[in-house]
Order: sequence, then structure tokens, then C-alpha cells
Amino acid sequence: MPDIVLSNVQKSYGGGSPNAVSDLDLHIHDGEFMCLLGPSGCGKTTTLRMIAGLENLTDGEIHVGERVIDSPARGAFVGPEKRGMGLVFQSYALWPHLTIERNTDFGLRLRKVPKAEREARVEKVMKALDIEKYRHRYPSQLSGGQQQRVALARMLAVNPGVLLLDEPLSNLDARLRLEMRAELKRIHAEFRTTIVFVTHDQWEAMTLATSIAVMSEGRLQQLGTPNDIYDRPANRFVAEFVGSPPINILEAATTHALDRAASHWLAGRLGESAGVGSVGFRPEALQIARSEAAVPGGSFRHAAEVTGILPTGGSWIIELKVDGRALFATTTESPALRGGERVWVHVRPTAVHVFDAAGLRLAEADDVLARAA
Amino acid sequence: MASSDALLTPAPVGGARWRYRLRLALREPTTVIAILMAALFAYLIVLPILSILADAATVQFGDERRTGGGTGGFTSYYLYRAFVSPVAYDLFWEPLLNTLKVAFGAITISLAVGGVLAWLIARTDMFGRRWFATALIVPYMLPAWTFALAWNTLFKNRTVGGQPGWFEAIGLTPPDWLAYGQVPITIILALHYTPFVILLFGSALRRFDSQLEDSARILGASGWVVAAQVILPLMRPALLSAVLLIFAKCLGEFGVPYVLGLPVKFDVLATSLYRSIGSRQTGVAGVLAGAIMLIGVLAIMVDAYLAREARRFVTVGSKGSMNRLSRLKGLRWPATGFAGVVFMLSVGMPLLTLALSTVMHQPGSFALSNFTLDYWIGQDLPTVAMRTGILFSPDLWQAAFNTITIVGIASICSGILGVLTGYVVVRTTIRPLAIFLRQVTFMPYLVPGIAFAAAYLSLFAVQRGPIPGLYGTTLILVLALMADQMPYASRAGISAMMQLGKDPEEAAQIVGAGWFRRMTSIVIPIQKGSLVTGILLPFISGIKGLSLFVILAVPATDVLTTFSLRLVDYNYTQAANAVVLIIAGLAYGGTVLAQRLTRTNLAEGLGT
Repeated sequence: MPDIVLSNVQKSYGGGSPNAVSDLDLHIHDGEFMCLLGPSGCGKTTTLRMIAGLENLTDGEIHVGERVIDSPARGAFVGPEKRGMGLVFQSYALWPHLTIERNTDFGLRLRKVPKAEREARVEKVMKALDIEKYRHRYPSQLSGGQQQRVALARMLAVNPGVLLLDEPLSNLDARLRLEMRAELKRIHAEFRTTIVFVTHDQWEAMTLATSIAVMSEGRLQQLGTPNDIYDRPANRFVAEFVGSPPINILEAATTHALDRAASHWLAGRLGESAGVGSVGFRPEALQIARSEAAVPGGSFRHAAEVTGILPTGGSWIIELKVDGRALFATTTESPALRGGERVWVHVRPTAVHVFDAAGLRLAEADDVLARAA
Repeated sequence: MASSDALLTPAPVGGARWRYRLRLALREPTTVIAILMAALFAYLIVLPILSILADAATVQFGDERRTGGGTGGFTSYYLYRAFVSPVAYDLFWEPLLNTLKVAFGAITISLAVGGVLAWLIARTDMFGRRWFATALIVPYMLPAWTFALAWNTLFKNRTVGGQPGWFEAIGLTPPDWLAYGQVPITIILALHYTPFVILLFGSALRRFDSQLEDSARILGASGWVVAAQVILPLMRPALLSAVLLIFAKCLGEFGVPYVLGLPVKFDVLATSLYRSIGSRQTGVAGVLAGAIMLIGVLAIMVDAYLAREARRFVTVGSKGSMNRLSRLKGLRWPATGFAGVVFMLSVGMPLLTLALSTVMHQPGSFALSNFTLDYWIGQDLPTVAMRTGILFSPDLWQAAFNTITIVGIASICSGILGVLTGYVVVRTTIRPLAIFLRQVTFMPYLVPGIAFAAAYLSLFAVQRGPIPGLYGTTLILVLALMADQMPYASRAGISAMMQLGKDPEEAAQIVGAGWFRRMTSIVIPIQKGSLVTGILLPFISGIKGLSLFVILAVPATDVLTTFSLRLVDYNYTQAANAVVLIIAGLAYGGTVLAQRLTRTNLAEGLGT
């Protein structure tokens, strides 16, 4: 399928409520595995449903290649049944009155595909998803994970140009979710379809996507590869939404000793007028030393007190306090620390994210800090 | 310059947007169907109500001299006559007072009896709880005036001619206050609506989160304190809701006061309205119907308001519904006895009395020679009109046939319309249309059946435009019944569609199914069950319905209920009782059958 392009898309449900989606520009390339990531209510599902044609636009345009599929200004709208897409619902939405086989071949029968070809196609997808042994059962007789596979098979059977997935793994337990993630990656490779995947789970997005679109309050916050999103968050929202435990943020404007120290440290490198609003560093970048002497030169440093050590199985979260302000560090090596111990925390310059007063990433700072290291 | 600029601006931008919206609205037939249905319901529900309200304020044919205006002109004469004039007391105020007395009496008794029974069934270790849970609901499945006829069979005295009641026959003349009027009507309505309290209150008790109770217990509260300070306050919404719904139902109750009130001129609003129609006082009938509707609307509005208020503190969706049973200990047998007595009074005695009366020549005489099957299957009887047993009477079979066809067609239509309403309300993109459909189909719920029938009479009795006069036809009964059943049908349809959600249909849309394909392959097959329920439930309630038919049916379109009422009027007691037994049997059998078919507890569905 050609690229799907959303330009300046707006969606409002009226009644004075804020726009569900505002000024959205998104280019989904052929063969891409794109995740729409964001907290609930951020407009990601609405975006997916607009691509599918289940919601119409308030303004803007969506086209697939040269074909305009939705544009209020042009008076154009192509119904969902004519878009040739596939959509897997969060609830699976299997047809309860049809067997698994009839669920799967429903779309092919609609298209009047000859019997032999239809059966071959159904056989192929069922086999790929390992559901052929349930073909004569009804959806209610299957477990959640099996229903999920049927929902996928039903859409794959018609060979859609793009597969849209609306939080398809959120109703599965942890182990099944892991399996299905691998399955989805395999399907993406095997069927070579474009996939647009909606989720609020950052790990799901990180592990699956070739690119991630982070959304908040109806707006696109950042579009990039998983590594971009994690290592170079475009703004504070992205920095704080992605990562667990969350990124440590220090505000330039407060008078707390730690924040002042960080501002001072930055000013020494960027100059006083750099317009720094806040500084962030991820927990794994926050390192701990017994004494100041052990801190490598050039790193930001401060004295702190260990207040808690939380083992998470294979890694540890260390909770620290500086004058009552909490910081989190993570480590994969058993920390030889005790609660109440006085230590030094330090961060390499390249691991520091600098944001301006509006919360946007200060790109100049990245260059300066990289050179300083 | 400015004006030429405006001309040069391409119009298509605005035009295209309108085209876009129109295309979205008409892309699928949903909207067109919604508009057609809105028009249909406006005609079948709104127009009759407006028509009878208009009757109340316009000069009716034949009243020109009294009102001092030409036919069709505006007049306040009917309002004056019903509310202020010297006859106003007989026409309106006394019936209103009687209605209120009966309703509040029935509410008090049914709350006291039903509340205790609900608690015994839901939360105690009384013997036979399961059996009582079903048995005590039976009165609600039977027509209320079954009990009125049974009462008559027992207590009828010499005040009224015809065959005396059993007590009179054995020489114990019951006083008028016991035989007719307020006392028996109140008792019968109370017994009839007790199941309602058991259902509403019982289900609230069962849903009650026992963790709330446990928390109070752990803090040291005794059983009584828990009941008074935790359980009862939380039950209040369910209780109030039962009160208001029983009130609304009493308001429209016709059969019981008709059978038991008439001999002592004890009129309630429903019978007063019936009388006005019978004596062709169309204008006054309009006023009375309007008054009944107004009271009904007020009651339902108060209920809706309270329900909204209650939602603020009601806890829902907790897991702690594994309620413990209170041990009755020494009171176990007395409690069971109490439930048994209520069952005997509300089901056993009335049905037994009716059944016995149909096989006895003389009332109250239990000599073997007095028993006969003549009233069921006799031939060449020495009576004036009913010369055969009821089962050989062609009138019965004609009435049964009418009942099945009229109620059947109406139920099928309303069931289908209900599912369609549900679909359209949930799926149309035009919200005002959905809101209108939802509300208009609910309107008959606010209008007691007898007032609704009067409204139909007012609109359809004479030719209006291209629509010929429908009075006396089967069609008017079918239409009125269908409209009257729409609240239940559309609610069932809407909730079924809500429960189904959009997803299954959208999934079909995504893989390429157009509207008709989705309807035939997805929506209707999935909704089959709720469609069957949506047809069966109204069918059962239609079979035992009286108030609509009593106004709109003529002898040629007699149904079982009006047929038996006619027999009562002609003093064919045994035959009338036999017909009522047949109706009761049909209603009960139908409920049980529907329950089997849908594997649900329909008794609970009947409560709403």
C-alpha cells in the first residue's frame, strides 16, 4: 500500500470539548511498523479510527498515495469498507455467532473470492497464527490470547494494505503479551504489511515499532525511532512519559540546593543566557560514588543520602534524597549500600537532557555537552 | 472593492463542507431510517396525546350551547367543569382523592409485606427460599383484576344483583365496606404489587456489597446498628423507586376499581375517565386524561430525579456480593409460615376460589351434587345467552383469536421497531435525532394505559385527512398496543445495542461489508435473542392488558380480557371466571416459556 499521509488533521466532537486531535501531520511509510504512543485520552485511538474511516475529520486531509480518502474541504470521504485496511479492536470484536473459520473467511466471502483460493488463504493465515485446530469452535470457547489471534487472522485474511491495531495486547496477561509481541513482529516480517499500532505501554512501543509517534492532548509530541524517543526526547512530556522509573527532573527556577547546583553547573558550560528551564537525567545515568574523589571529572555531582533500596529482580532501584528532594537511580549490579548512607551522585554531561522554559529540548546544549565530554 | 472580493471568493469551500456532511449523513441508510421512524412515532405517540389535550380546550360537537362557542373554538368550559363546577367533586376531586387513598394504602402494605419478604428471601436461612423467590412473584404475572373477580366470588353481597358470593350464600352477609370499594381495592393492589417490591428491593439487597457491612461489623456495630445505619440508608433509592413506580401503576389501574368500585360508586381517576368517555363527554375526558398524564409524568420525573441523586452515593461494581445469610433460629418456622400465608392469600386462595367457582352451580355449597363441568364443556344450557360451556362458545375462540392476532402483531411490530430504534439511536451520527427517538419512544411510559387509549380514541375515532376513522377496527388496537409497548421495546433494543457495542459491526465494515450485509450477517443474528425477548415480553403483558382494550375494543374486536369483563357485566360469573383463569394460565405459561427460551429470569425483567 502506498504511504498514508495525514495533513493538518483536526478532530472535534463538538459541544465545547477540546479537540480530540489538533494539527496532526503524520507520514506513515509503506512497510513501517508505527506505534502511536501516549496516555489515555491523548487522541491516539481517534487518530487510528480516522485512518480506518470509522471517524470522520473535522478538518484537514488524509490521503493514501494519490487517493484522498477523507477531506471535508474537498467534500471527499471514502467509507471504511472501501479502504482495504484491517483493524484489530481492543475488545477483539469477534462475531459471537460465527465459528472461527467463518469469522476468518467472512471478508473473503464478501469479496466473492473463489472457494479454492479462499480456503487456501484461510488455511495460510490460520496456520500462521496457529488457530487451525479451533476452526469449528465459537469465539466464546476460546481464551483471550486465542481470540486475539482470530481477530488478527480475520483481518490478515483479506490481505489489507495496512493493519491497524488498537491496544490489542492490553487484555492479555504478561506472558501471553510477550508471546504476542514476538508474533506481531514475525507477522510484520512475514506479511510485509504496514502496521499502525496504538498503545499506552512504552515497552510495547519500544520493542515493536520501527518508529514511534508520541501524542499528548491531541497533539503530536515527537516522531522518531525508539532510540530517538528515549535518548533524545523532544520535550519534557516525552522525557517524562517514556522511561520507568521516570526521568529525574531538576527545575532551574527553584531555589532548592540541588536545582541551583545543576543550574550553576550548566551555566559554567552553556553560559548564563542559554535559557535553561529544566534539566533531566534518566535513573540509569545517575551514578553513585562513595566519595567525591571517585567522581570522574566534568560530571555533574552532588552529595546525597540513600533512603531506600528496592530490588526488582535482576536490577535495583535506589532512592536518594538531597534536602528532602527525591532522586531515583537504577543499577544492574547489587549495590553495596545501606539506607542512611551519605554518598555522591553524579551524571556524565552527555546523559544530561536540557529543556528550555517552554519544556522543549535545547538542541544547542546537546552539542556543547557532547564537546565538553 | 470589498463586495467584488466576496464574489470572487470561491463558494465551493462552504459548499463542499455541506456536501461532506450530507454525504456522511446519507452514506448509510441509518439516518433515513431514523427520520422515518421519528415521523412514525411522532404520528403514533405524540399526535394522539396532543389531540386529547386539544380536546380538553376546544368546543366538542354538541357542546356549542353549553360552551357558548362554535365547534372547534377555544373554551375553558371543560377545565371549569372538571375542576371548579358543582359536578367537579364527582368528576375529578373525589376520584383523585380515592386514587391517592388506594395508591398510598397499597404502597404502604406492599412495602411492609414485600420488604420483609425480600429480606427473608435474599438474606436469611428461611425454609424454601428458592421456591418462594419464584412463587411469590406469580401474582405479578397474573392480571390484577383476576383477584378482583376472586374477591367478588367470595364477598359479593346482596347490594348487587346476580349470583351472590360464597359468604352471602351461606348466610354471612359481608358488609359493603368489605365487599366493595376502598378496602378490597387497596388489598388487591397491594397483593398485586408486592412482587414488585420483592424484586426491586430483593435485587438491591443481593447486590449490596457485604464488605460495607463487614466494615461496620469490624468497627463494632451490632446487627441492628448495621441494618439501621448502613443497609437501610443505602436501600432508600430502591425503596423510593418502588414507591413511585407502584404509584404510577396504581394511577392507571382500571380493572380492579371497575369490578369492585362500581357497586358502591367508588370512582378513581381511571374509572371516572372511562365513564366520561362512555357518556361521550369528550372534552371532560380530555381534561381527565391530561390530569392523569400530568400526575404520571410528575411521578416518573421525581423517580428519575431521585435515581440521579442516588447515583451519587451508590457503590457499584464491587466484588463483595457473597452475602452472608442471617440465621433466624427460633423464628425460622414463623418466617416460613408468614411467606406461606402471603402466598396463600395472593396466589393460592384467589386461583382456587376462581377455579372452584367455575365448577359449582350455587356459590358456597360444597355438596357433591352442586359440582358440574357445564360451565366449561356443557351443551344446551338453560341460560339466556351462554347456552354452552365456555370452551364451546364461539365467542371465546373469537376473542382468543383476536387476542393472539392483535397482541401478536403488535408485539412483533414493537419488537422489531425496538431493535431498530436501538440500532438507530446508537449508530446515527445526528445526535438530536437519537435523543428525540429515545425520548419519544419512552413517552407512553409516562401515560397510563387508559389515558393513552383515550388519546387514541380522540385522534383516530373520526376521519382525519386521508386517514379514515379507525374506531372499531383491529388496526387501532394494534397501533395503540404497539405504541404502548414501545417504551419497553425500545429500552430493550437500546440496551442490547449498547451492550453489543459498535465493534463487531465496525469489524465487518472494515473487512468490506456494506450496511445491508452488516444488518443481515452481523447485527440481526447477534440480536436474535433480544429480539425474541422483545417480542415475548410485550406479548405476555398484552394478553393480560385491559385498560387499552376496554376503551378501544368493540364486541367485534373483543379480546379475552374485554370478553371476560363483558361476562362480568352480564353476571355470567362462572364463565367470566373461567375466561380469567384462561388468561392467567396463558400469562403464566407464557412467562415460564419465555424464561425457558431465553434462559433468563424474566420475573426480574417484568419488574422494570
